Formats: sequence, C-alpha cells, structure tokens
Amino acid sequence: MKPNDKNIAWIKEPRLGLAGRSYLLLFTKGLTTTLKHLLRRKQTVQSPEQRHELPNPLIYRGVHRLNRDEQGRVKCVACFLCATACPAHCIDIVAADHRSAAVPGPWPDREKYPQTFTIDELRCIFCGMCEEACPVDAIELTSLYDLSGKSREEMIFDKEKLLSVYDQTKDAEPMKTKRMKDEGFTDLRPLTSDF
Amino acid sequence: MQPILEPLLKIALLIVALMTGAAYLVLLERWIAAWVQDRLGPNRVGIPLTKYRLFGLGQPLADGVKFLFKAEFTPSHVDKALFFVAPLAIFITSIVVFAVIPFGSVLPPDGFPASWGIHEPIRLVAAPGVDVGMIYVFAVGSIAVYGVVLGGWASNNKYSFIGGMRSSAQLISYELPLGLGILGVVLASGSLRLDTIISQQAQAGVWNVFTQPLGFVVFCVAAFAEAARLPFDLPEAEQELVGGYHTEYSGIKLMMYMVAEFLHMVAAAFLIVILFFGGWHLWGVTGDQSGTGPFFGQQTSLANTPQAENMDLSPSETPAQGGQSHFRGGNAGEGTDAFPAAKIGTVPITWPVALLRIIVLLAKVMAVILFFMMARWSWPRFRYDQLMDVGWKVMIPWGLVNLVVVAVWMEYGDRLTRLLGVSPAKSMALVGWIALFMSWLVITVIDPTSSRNRPRPRLPAEGDFPERT
Repeated sequence: MKPNDKNIAWIKEPRLGLAGRSYLLLFTKGLTTTLKHLLRRKQTVQSPEQRHELPNPLIYRGVHRLNRDEQGRVKCVACFLCATACPAHCIDIVAADHRSAAVPGPWPDREKYPQTFTIDELRCIFCGMCEEACPVDAIELTSLYDLSGKSREEMIFDKEKLLSVYDQTKDAEPMKTKRMKDEGFTDLRPLTSDF
Repeated sequence: MQPILEPLLKIALLIVALMTGAAYLVLLERWIAAWVQDRLGPNRVGIPLTKYRLFGLGQPLADGVKFLFKAEFTPSHVDKALFFVAPLAIFITSIVVFAVIPFGSVLPPDGFPASWGIHEPIRLVAAPGVDVGMIYVFAVGSIAVYGVVLGGWASNNKYSFIGGMRSSAQLISYELPLGLGILGVVLASGSLRLDTIISQQAQAGVWNVFTQPLGFVVFCVAAFAEAARLPFDLPEAEQELVGGYHTEYSGIKLMMYMVAEFLHMVAAAFLIVILFFGGWHLWGVTGDQSGTGPFFGQQTSLANTPQAENMDLSPSETPAQGGQSHFRGGNAGEGTDAFPAAKIGTVPITWPVALLRIIVLLAKVMAVILFFMMARWSWPRFRYDQLMDVGWKVMIPWGLVNLVVVAVWMEYGDRLTRLLGVSPAKSMALVGWIALFMSWLVITVIDPTSSRNRPRPRLPAEGDFPERT
C-alpha cells in the first residue's frame, strides 16, 4: 500500500497541551479512576450459589424440553419438522404409528408418536429453530443455561430425559402457549422473535 | 552461640517470610486486579477438604502446588546449562538483596531468658553493619539483568530473544536514574548504610521525600522500571510478547521467575520506604532515637562518617536519659549540617517501641506495594521509544539536577538557612520543591518525549530506497 493511497485517511496526531504534557493530569485521572472502581459495588455473580438473572427468560435459548399435554403424554407428533429445520442435525426421531403398533398407545387422536426422540446437546447450537418449526409446541428451549456432563454419552438427551426437563421446569416456566394465553397474545411470533 | 545462631535464625525467618509474602502478594495482586475491574477475585480456595473458604486465602498454596506438579518441559533446542542457570540467577539475587535491607530497627536484649546469653540488642538485618549497603543492593540487583538476558538467549527462540534484548535495554537504562536518585540521599546522610539513612531521617524528624522530592520521583519511576511493573512492563508485555524472555519456561523454573519478579517489587518498596519515607520512623510513635545511638557511632553529625561499631556498649552502661530533650531543641547553633548534629547519648529501646517500629516499617512497605499494584491498572503502558525517552531524556537529567541541587545546598545551604531564619530541613525542602517544580516545568515545555516517528503521507522519493543491483 502506497502512502498516497486514496483509502488511507491521514490523521495528524493532536499535540498535547501543557497540562497533558506535564503528565500530572493523566496521572491523577488514572489513579482516581482505579480508586473509584476499587470501591464500587462488584458485578460478580457468585455462581453456582447465586444464579444469573436472565433479562427475559421467555426468549432465552437454553436446554431443550419436550412438553407434555394435559394427560401427561408427550405432545410431539413426530412430524420431523424440527429435525428438518435443525441446522446442526442434532435431532434424531424414530416415529411410530401407534395404530399399526403391536401394543397400541393411548393416542387415539394422533397418527404418529415419537418412539425415540434424541437431541445431541453437544452438537446443538441453541439456535431455537426447532422451537419455531414445531407445529404443536412440543419442543421448547428453557432458560437452563448451565448444562454439563462428564461424558459425551451423558450429553445425548433421550425422550425420557427431555420429558424430565419439562417436569423440572414446568412450574417455573409454563408452556409458552399457556403463557401467551394468560398474557393475551394471539399470535405466536412476538414471543419467538426478539421483543 | 549468638554470633552464629542469630544470623541463621534471621536468614531463616527472612526466607520464610519472603516466600510466603511473595505467594500472598500474588493473591493480593489478583484481588486488586479484580476489585479495580469490578470483580470479586479469587475467594474460593480455603482449607482443603473442608467447606471453609477463608476469603480465598488458600489460593497461594494451591498455586504453589500446581506449579510444583506441572510438567517441566525443556525444549530440545535450548542451551541446557544457561537455560538452567538463568532463573537461578534472577531468583537467588532477588533473595540475596534482602541481606542488607532492615526489616525493623533493633530488639532490646532484656526480654529473653538469661540462658540464651543475649546481652546486645538484636538488629533486625540479616547482615548488620554492612558499610556499603547501598552499593551491595545495586551490585546484586544488577545481576538480575543476567537472568533476563540469559533466559532470552538460552531459550534459542527469536521471540524470547527479542523480549530478553529489549528488557535488558530497559533494565540497564533505568539503572542510571536509580543510582542518581539515591545519590542525593547518600550525599545528605553521608552514609551508604541503610540503617544509618533511616536513623538520620528519624533524628531529623524529616523524611527525605520532603527535602528531595525530585530524587524521590526519579527513584520511584526507576524502581517501577527495574521491577518491570506496569507501566514499564515491556520485559513481559503479556499481550504482545507471549511472556517475553520466559516464553520457553515452565514448571518450577517459571515459578522462580514469577517469585523473583514479586521479590523485586518488595525490594523496591523497601528501598523507597527506607530511603525516602523514613523507614521505621513515624512522628511521635516510634521514638526518634532510642536504640539508634551506639550502633552508628556516638555522634550523628554529618561531618563524621559513622565510626567503627562499638558493640560493647550495652545500654545499661550508657546514660539512659540522653538526648530525647536535647535533640530537637538546642542545636540551632550548629546549623552547618543538613540535619541538626545532636551529640546524643543512648536511649535504650523498649519492646513496645521495637515492635511498633517493625509494624510501622511493614505498614509503609505495604502501602507502597499497594500503590505499585494500583498503578498497574491506572495508566497505559509506555511504548518502547517512550520508555527510552522517559529514561534518558527525563529521568537522568532530573537525577543530575537533584544531585547538583543537593550538593550545592550541602555546601551553601547554611547561608540560605540563616537568611530565611528557618530550620535547615525547611530550607532544604524549599530548595528541593523549587527544583522539582522547575525541572518539571522545563520538561513540560520542551517535551522531549513527544514522538516524531509517525509515518508521513509522502511517497518515497527517488533515492530513498536504492535499488539493489
């Protein structure tokens, strides 16, 4: 790059005034700034004893859960929309047709149900597209953020685990459809986009 | 037994205190860093295997154990012998410096059991009575440069080498202002002994920082640079040099470098306190002269350099009520010296005073260390050329000015004192502050450190880069 390149903006270094050149002003300024911060209230949240206060848990994208309906059955209808929408390909569903199954499930109102439903939480990028794609609001992202495990296998969540996440969080975070009804929303979109 | 056992005990105490002190200073440094950044800092590690956290006071132990058990990797391309010697050089010298640095005044002999056979006051220096104390500190302290240079060279790695080179340039450059800064103090007190310098300030009741502010500024800045603390931390500019000269070091060798760095800071803090802040002296608290008498010669007049030690004088043989009354007052007639020349007797020191002096000295040192740690976050680092400019174009001239001013005042100051009708210390302080103000003003106006090395919007002319043929 040549010095007369049009893309270079030449800036003249401003010459310091007498106060600046004496360094005294800068000296006191720096010291007072650090002293102020030394005595200020600290920002640290002492996790895990204290929990972070999420600014809006409704739109937080943490660990997944599989919702249950009123009768305690899994809401998922195994339509594969979430697995299709998933950019990380971390959702694996094996669907079963309960009408043709050997032991018919207790779902006379549905065609299919997920025989297995696994999410590889290590592969997941927590984008929330599964939640947006789901037509029956079965899969949701909770506000649990501290997800950890001791092995890779432990981090592959199966259907039971995902349902247990629901059981854990349903009181603190009711299902989004229910919440929206309470708050008078009719359209789903305001919740899933950032508002 | 006393002549053998006493120094050994003092050395053991000193090494233990320095090692634990350095470990806890690391914790303090991390705390201050955290607090300044609105964080809490390490507060988890307490007593192992229990739930007691003790505000994180177990952290240094955990850090030390971690360092000891870390893999110590020696790259295949290094110079094995020098690679091993370099951290030792810097580590050992940083401890050995403390041999002549007093960590208190004296302990009275009367508190000990008679069977111990202690009849003389115990002086709280590992090597008491070294007449060339200051020279020793500088001689040993300068060897620390070898640790840096050898570490960078032996690593056989161009980045370590660059780091080592520029830090050796920095350390050598700032040796000069460091020496110039103390010359004024040495001149004013007439001694190179650190304990004499303290007792001079205590007896005058005026600390050197008030009479030689310019020397203090020079020494303080140079001490920061020698200890390689921010804003002069170019030796291991963590963001740019990947650790500088100790890039290739790991495990216990790295720990030696780290500990040596903290010990340098502690030594610098001790020197600042001893030379400029009166050591263990605090007005009205520590007894201005008790216990100082027989160790520095009977006269503390400046004309006399300290005499050979007269250790046989035990306090019981000397008049117990010597100088206290006749020190501050009745020496207006002998105004030719920088400080009142008091022909004092010996006031035996008492235990409370002895302990208070230790506390006062350590509290002052702690305050200086806290300032060191606060300074780290207060100002941005100097660029390399600015560092050199500050060293050569500001600090060395200031040091010379201070030396000249003190020397001239020592010669002709009594006239000024008589003219003004004030005490010698006051007239010296007046001259010192005027010198500080004037030299600061001169530097501000002529601004020797402003950089003229910015790239210019100019195409290279025809002959600027001759073509290679």
